[in-house]
Amino acid sequence: MANQSGQIYGLTILAPILGEDDHLDIGHATAVRWYLAGLPQDHTGPFAKISSTHFCRLVVMDDVVFVGSPAREEHLKSRYLVFESNFDGDLDTYLTRMAREIPDLVDAVWKHCVGYPGVADPAAFAAYMKKCQITTTFFFADVNNKTVDQTLKALQVQSDVSHFIAKNQGKPAVELQSAFRILLERMTKAPAPLRGGKDSEKTAAEDRPYDH
Amino acid sequence: MELLLLTNINGKAYAMNAITPMKRWKTPILWLIFFILGAIKPLQSALKNLSFIHFARWVIVKHNQFPHLDPKQPAEDLQYDYLIFFSNFNGTWNEYIDAFSAVLSKGLNTIWRWSEKFPGSVPVTPFKTYIGQVQFDTDYYYNAYPRASTNDVKAALRVQDAFNAFAENSKNLSPAEFEKAYLEFLVQVQADLGSTGMAPVGT
Repeated sequence: MANQSGQIYGLTILAPILGEDDHLDIGHATAVRWYLAGLPQDHTGPFAKISSTHFCRLVVMDDVVFVGSPAREEHLKSRYLVFESNFDGDLDTYLTRMAREIPDLVDAVWKHCVGYPGVADPAAFAAYMKKCQITTTFFFADVNNKTVDQTLKALQVQSDVSHFIAKNQGKPAVELQSAFRILLERMTKAPAPLRGGKDSEKTAAEDRPYDH
Repeated sequence: MELLLLTNINGKAYAMNAITPMKRWKTPILWLIFFILGAIKPLQSALKNLSFIHFARWVIVKHNQFPHLDPKQPAEDLQYDYLIFFSNFNGTWNEYIDAFSAVLSKGLNTIWRWSEKFPGSVPVTPFKTYIGQVQFDTDYYYNAYPRASTNDVKAALRVQDAFNAFAENSKNLSPAEFEKAYLEFLVQVQADLGSTGMAPVGT
């Protein structure tokens, strides 16, 4: 199944955005963009609550592209909201969780889309999303056998082990063994790593102010 | 310092979107190519060995497949089918396209040669111009582990496996035996150590 790689599901949604309304100060597509522009990207963001989400994106697709003559120029009659997500588990569970756990985000974004039924009935929302789903033709996942939390835990272990090794270089065997037991205990009690990280820990360099 | 939200980038990952038109008769050929690519795993080894793509996908949207959910919604009237590409990669846009062009040129050409006016992935200048033309920006990008690259994730998983085995096997060792086993553990994981964090600045 092309939507699946190992235990990772690749969801692709194209939801048609409502046409422009003369009564609105701004159009639906612009309203979606304004809303998304203010949404946190880190652990305080909505998708950090859907714990199975590895990566996802929301994109307003304004039109198809014209690559130049002799290709034919053509245009879409609607804009489409693209939702691309890479998550653990099955589709129904994921869509239901979206409706139940991040209803504000779902409502604020998809209310601008044609046929959106709301989130009061999660099953109706899931059915609507499936109508907008396009089957992935080819899906590549480099690591496809670990959940988000397993991945975060491994990164935490790697960091802790690295610090431990640096800190305990050259110590006598007895002290080393004792320190290792303390490390094990501390790791057992450590809180789960934050999904989505903390924006406040980023630096200007990490945010790379330009890319090309 | 107030941080600027860059919507194509979150931590070490870049979200790329690209859409290219294809003549309808070419679509079945590309379906077949993707089918073969999916069925014969060794064909994916170059993509896997590049090791800087967390997730990527190609989605063929046929001319009549754009969702139509309400009679009031105008029906699309398209002549082309479309190939949409989504990638979550590490590094900068230029690094990504350069690496793709240098390492995967045959594979890329096999996939995109069916798209209108695709210039080929080598030489890189027209290839970059084409990608720039067909790419569209991301409005919101979430990454559950923004400080980790694909290589960081793979290394962390190897460290965790080795660490769990060492912790289990060293429970009842004497200090001298523990020290010896610890050194063996260090040798095993030394290439995979380090902390995740900020990405280097580059173009």
